[in-house]
Formats: sequence, structure tokens, C-alpha cells
Amino acid sequence: MLCRDVKRVVYFFLDGSLGDRKKQDFDSHLRLCPDCESRTKLARKLREFLRRRVERINVTAPDRLKMRLTRSIRAFRTEWSR
Amino acid sequence: MKTAVANEHEMGWDFEKAAMPYVDSLYNTAYRMTRNSEDAEDLVQETYLKAYKYYDKFEEGTNFKAWLFKIMKNTFINNYRKKKLTPHKIDFSEIEESYERVIQKNAPDLIKDPETDIFQDMMDEDVKRALDSLPHDYKMVVLLADIEGFSYKEIAEILDCPVGTVMSRLYRGRKMLERTLLEYARKYGYIRGGAEPAKMRSRKDEAKPRKKKEGAEEEAEVAEPEENEEEILFAGAEDEDFEEFEVEEEEEEKFEIE
Repeated sequence: MLCRDVKRVVYFFLDGSLGDRKKQDFDSHLRLCPDCESRTKLARKLREFLRRRVERINVTAPDRLKMRLTRSIRAFRTEWSR
Repeated sequence: MKTAVANEHEMGWDFEKAAMPYVDSLYNTAYRMTRNSEDAEDLVQETYLKAYKYYDKFEEGTNFKAWLFKIMKNTFINNYRKKKLTPHKIDFSEIEESYERVIQKNAPDLIKDPETDIFQDMMDEDVKRALDSLPHDYKMVVLLADIEGFSYKEIAEILDCPVGTVMSRLYRGRKMLERTLLEYARKYGYIRGGAEPAKMRSRKDEAKPRKKKEGAEEEAEVAEPEENEEEILFAGAEDEDFEEFEVEEEEEEKFEIE
């Protein structure tokens, strides 16, 4: 695996979706290449940061929307049942 | 024997019971896509009514949440087409290059000191802005994968596209997002290597330099012309340029996708 390939698959590595063989190649490349090791660490760090932050900025549906949905579904139903 | 009306009623309760638990997820994604609460509420409502209308078409045993997201995505695309918004154009090679620049300048520092949370000072607003700045195709994939936790396959199903496309969009979307965050971090002085902390900001720690580790020569290479984010993100490249991104077919098969 070349450095170029590491860059390309780093997210998939972090997703845990690399095949066994590719994952082994990835791991052994990292052991020999501090630069790629650093990149992978940074990518992991960024991902963790994003995950935490995105959780914080997630929005929840306002109650009025929930009521609106329930009401409109029921209205629809009555309309159809007629 | 049940009447048609009774069946209809039963189906309605069923639907409500099945669909309401996903309202927060759908709304959150809708909000990120439309970027305002009014449109997001309308989009979710339209999605729910369509889903209810076609509820009998839903195949029992398949992923209901993914099915709802698929309806929402189609609704969003339709509305978006109606509004005739021009899709963003992206110069991806420029993003890749600037990402490389930012990484090379900062990554060694960032990694050497794992105790320092490099982004802790970043404001939520910056994260929102970075997410908002993603073109919608890429944003959608990132949201579905990294927030909603859908698998590549499920996303491909929701978006009606090959898994390879999901992977390449995910790759690019994440890279763009990270690049933008690193740019902000540098620009606003959250990380060393930021030429100058932004003057508009009044964070008490922004002007405080990070621990100095090496000589001044490192500082010298820091100065770099301010880049225009709009230009980087939305310049140039036609749609076809994306498609040749190399998660080639044979490559793709080697990813054991779950």
C-alpha cells in the first residue's frame, strides 16, 4: 500500500469497513510510515470531535411539528375513510 | 370480518406508532438540508403524509427508517428542482491541495500533543457553518452516515445510487468538512499555524499562542495569503469530474461492506 492509498482509504479504515487483507496492509504501512500514522491519528481525532460536536448541535423536532403531523395524518385518514 | 374503514384506521395507528419515533432524526436531517426550521417542518410533514399514503407499499421486514429517509430525500430533491437552485460546483483538487497544505503545516503539532484538544475552543457556530457549506449531495451522505449511522448499503438504497458513489461522496464530503474545520481552526487561531487570530472574535484565549516547541523558522512559513473559501469550494469543476474519483470497481469490491 502506498501513502496515496492510505489517504484514500483512511475513512473506510476508521469506519471499520476495510476488508481483512486491506486492513492488514493498512496497519503494516502505518507501522513503517510515521507520516501516515499521524494522518490517521488526526483523522480519528477530527472524527471524534465532529461526532461530539454534531451531537451537540443536533436539533429535535419541535412539539408543534409533532402535533401537526399527528393531526394531519388523522385528518388524512378521516378523509380517506369517508 | 373487518370493514375497509376499520382496516384503514388500524393502518393509521400502526403507521403513527411506527413512524413517530423517527421524527427527531428526520427533522434534524431536514433542518441541516434546508437550513431553516420552517422549510424543515414542511419537508418532514410532506414526508410523513407521503409515507402514510404509500404505507401499504412498504415491505414488512425492510428498514423502515431508511424507507422514510428515502421518501424525504426524494421530496427534498423534487422541491429543490422546483426552486431551480443551481447545484454547487466544486473544485475538488483544490480542496485536496489545501487540505494537504493545512495538514502538513499543522498535523505534526496537532498529533504530538494528544492531551490538547485542538478543537475544543471551536465554536458550535463554526461547526454548523462548516456543515452548511457542504454541497447538498455531500452533506446528505455525511449526515446519513455520520449522524444517522446508516450503512453504505442503506445510504445507497436511500439515495438510489451505487455503493461506490456513496463511498466517494462520503470520502469527499468528510474531507471537505475536515478541511473547512482545519481552515477555521487556523484562521481563528484555535490551532498554531493560524496566521493571525480573527480580530472580530473576542475569545479570551484566541491570542494566546500555543506552547512553543521549536524555533522561529517554523513561524516564518506560516504566513500565507488568505484564501477565499467560496472560491475554493465552489469554483470550476463539472459534475463529470466527480465521477472519475477512484473508488474503482475492483477497488470497491475489496472493501468488505457490511
